[in-house]
Amino acid sequence: MSDVFKLMGVYAKTTAKSWFQYRVDAVLKSLAVFLREATGIIVIWFTLLKFDQLNGWDIYEMLFLFSLLFLTYGIMIIFFTGLRDFGRTVRDGSFDRFLLRPRGLLFQIIFVNSDWFAAIGHGGLGITLFLISAGKVGIQWNLAHAVYYLFAVAGGVLIQGAVFLVLAALNIYLLETNSLKELLYWNMRKFAGYPISIFHKAIQFIMIYVMPFAFVNYFPAQYLLRKSDMAQYPEIFLYLTPAVGIGMYLLAYLFWRFSIRYYKSSGN
Amino acid sequence: MSLIEVKDISKTFKVSKRRGGVPGMLANLFVPKFERKEAVKNISLSIEKGEMVGFIGPNGAGKSTTIKMLSGILYPDSGEIIVDGFIPYKQRKNYVGRIGVVFGQKSQLQWDLPVIDSFELLKAIYRVPDAVYQKNLSRFTEMLDMGSFIRQPVRQLSLGQRMRADIVAALIHSPEIVFFDEPTIGIDVVGKETIRSFIRELNEQDKVTMLFTTHDMQDIEKTCKRLVIIDGGTKVYDGTLGGIREQYGTSRQLDVEFAGRAEIAPIDKVEMETIDENKKRFIFENRDIQINELMNQILSRYQVRDINISEPDIESIIRKIYNREVDGI
Amino acid sequence: MRIAPYFAYARKCFLGRSAYRFDHLMSILSTCMQFFIFWGIYRALYGANSEIDGITFSMVTTNFILSMGLGAVFCPDDYFLPNKIWDGSIATELLRPISFKGRMIAENLGNAAFDLLFRFLPVLVIALLTVGVSAPASPVMLLLFLFSAFLGYGVLWTISFAVQMTSFWLINIWSLLTIKNVFVNVLSGSMIPLWFMPEWMNGILNFTPFSSIYFTPVQIYLGQLSYGEIAFKCGVQVLWIAGIYLIGNFLWKKGQQKLVVQGG
Repeated sequence: MSDVFKLMGVYAKTTAKSWFQYRVDAVLKSLAVFLREATGIIVIWFTLLKFDQLNGWDIYEMLFLFSLLFLTYGIMIIFFTGLRDFGRTVRDGSFDRFLLRPRGLLFQIIFVNSDWFAAIGHGGLGITLFLISAGKVGIQWNLAHAVYYLFAVAGGVLIQGAVFLVLAALNIYLLETNSLKELLYWNMRKFAGYPISIFHKAIQFIMIYVMPFAFVNYFPAQYLLRKSDMAQYPEIFLYLTPAVGIGMYLLAYLFWRFSIRYYKSSGN
Repeated sequence: MSLIEVKDISKTFKVSKRRGGVPGMLANLFVPKFERKEAVKNISLSIEKGEMVGFIGPNGAGKSTTIKMLSGILYPDSGEIIVDGFIPYKQRKNYVGRIGVVFGQKSQLQWDLPVIDSFELLKAIYRVPDAVYQKNLSRFTEMLDMGSFIRQPVRQLSLGQRMRADIVAALIHSPEIVFFDEPTIGIDVVGKETIRSFIRELNEQDKVTMLFTTHDMQDIEKTCKRLVIIDGGTKVYDGTLGGIREQYGTSRQLDVEFAGRAEIAPIDKVEMETIDENKKRFIFENRDIQINELMNQILSRYQVRDINISEPDIESIIRKIYNREVDGI
Repeated sequence: MRIAPYFAYARKCFLGRSAYRFDHLMSILSTCMQFFIFWGIYRALYGANSEIDGITFSMVTTNFILSMGLGAVFCPDDYFLPNKIWDGSIATELLRPISFKGRMIAENLGNAAFDLLFRFLPVLVIALLTVGVSAPASPVMLLLFLFSAFLGYGVLWTISFAVQMTSFWLINIWSLLTIKNVFVNVLSGSMIPLWFMPEWMNGILNFTPFSSIYFTPVQIYLGQLSYGEIAFKCGVQVLWIAGIYLIGNFLWKKGQQKLVVQGG
């Protein structure tokens, strides 16, 4: 086990060294990601300066809702950069190299490369928004709420990780999955910063049952905020995030295992 | 039992057929159509410990597929492979620590970092003990003359330097078996010679077993005693380098320069090619006609200025094997 | 100046785009989603109100569909110059017997023409069939809208042009371009109608080129401006184009000198 941690250390050192080859670029990159992702927030901020609230949600509650989305993505991308870029790994033959090393495949994919720019950009934004909003949305921060929050974040990380894992596994069957990822993940994510109750029923259905972003931020935020628009959803949804995360991740992992077997029997 | 034992392996790929146009694209997405391509057909092979085997064949012959099956990246459809007591594709994690693989086309070094950092990373991945690592590193660095660039970022290296570093990367954990997939591709003559002599030395001193694919016959002639040729997924030759000449290289050629314009009547069982106005090449099999008999025939009938007998070189024999121009396959 | 080679470049870009059908379908979908998100947000914000500050919900919808639709067309290739500097091909590109800037404009216009037909129109039709869009105030205003939209493209193009020129010195300008796009997205009115910006913000915006890109044409379309105001605002658009172009062109000349001195 200590051997595994040692290797993780060496991987991290290697990544950091590569990173420090381009210091200035790295700082600017994180800033650019931060600002790009903040676009939606600046817009909602200006909008709520005028309108005060969106379907009962005031600006701080909105920021709290957004913060969960960015925080979970920021944590997720530390571990799943390799899966985000897995299509390239398969196409350029690096995946064969992973197969030739006496280590777990998922372990290698996860630790070989982490996109710290995205992690700092997204995660930094998530933390900033949390710090701005957490004290102003009327949450009593007791131990129970803190534990719930940690579980919710972990669940949100697992949900998005599961989606990346499935999309990565699909690369083994399809040559190009970027468009699919764009359709399923990035486009749906654009809705996820807002209370889903304002959208058409069909979009709500997708956000709950197909690409369950609602469990990443909307329902966890509702547990802590209890806004009136929660009335239209079953109470149980407030508690499901960790279960949805674990369930989705397990299924995704089984599909991944199956796909690796397929890769070894079919080549690519 | 040999170190590497390959019994009757086959591998068929499904190759998707792509259709054009928007409907075709949607059809590809939902109802893909496949063609079957037999990449490897019933190949058997056994390699003893310490052997160095050249593994050649034209593009698409099944070399890479075979190497991928041997190294555990692919399952064979049928047949079995046992290497050093392991079944590569079933016992991947335990097995791959014992082998090294060099892909000439694909570097495993960290692009932005100095060479030495990649070695350090591999040391951790393969759990190489410090003493072994230091010993291997200093020995290989000296043998391959890498001292001058080991602290340079990989992106600044020449192709030859990068390949040397890549070879060391595949050997840093002292593998017993090494597969080289085109390790000399795109490298200049001097660089090739460095790599060849390194491989030869490693084989002789450490008894490392090696399988070596290349398109450069010089690589094989200068390193390997044994040669395996595959084509169309089947093994067409397996034997010594000299043996190939005995088996397929029995034809001789006789180049004759005549005194004047040559109008030569056909000779039985001898093939004749015109080189230029008064030069002809006669190609024949030793078993069909004796060389002195042929020369007598020519010398007695025509005015000859010069005459030259030669054996075909190994490369042209192999070209003929690829083109199915020789008997006995 | 002969126009034919430039036309050929524009045509090549136009035709080249049809090769990536699936990606194109995705981009239409992406624009539609963006539109429906903001439509949904503003429907919730309006609630039972038929108008706020004299702005009807239908005007808001129209603002979004026009500025996002135009946004789908207004996509000058931000990496046209940076990519050529990155891979070193700029040196040979400059030796060709045609104007590099002319070619840049031609290729961008070719792409814009494609997007006008195959992105703007489909998105507009989808919006018409689902949520409805206001008709233009009058046929004359429609023509003036088209004219002003063309100038709006000019403003956006010169901004991209000027920022791209910094790649002569910085080489990798992904971060800078990303930050530029944040400014364009937030301040141009395509994500928040500028009617609803706080007063102090609109005061600042008057001194920036961003509202000239989409908001001026949209206001003309909706008939919010008198002829005098239209003339003034279009004049402002022209001034921005000229001003930013001069800055970009200055950098362009300096950059080429640097290229010559350092040999790339």
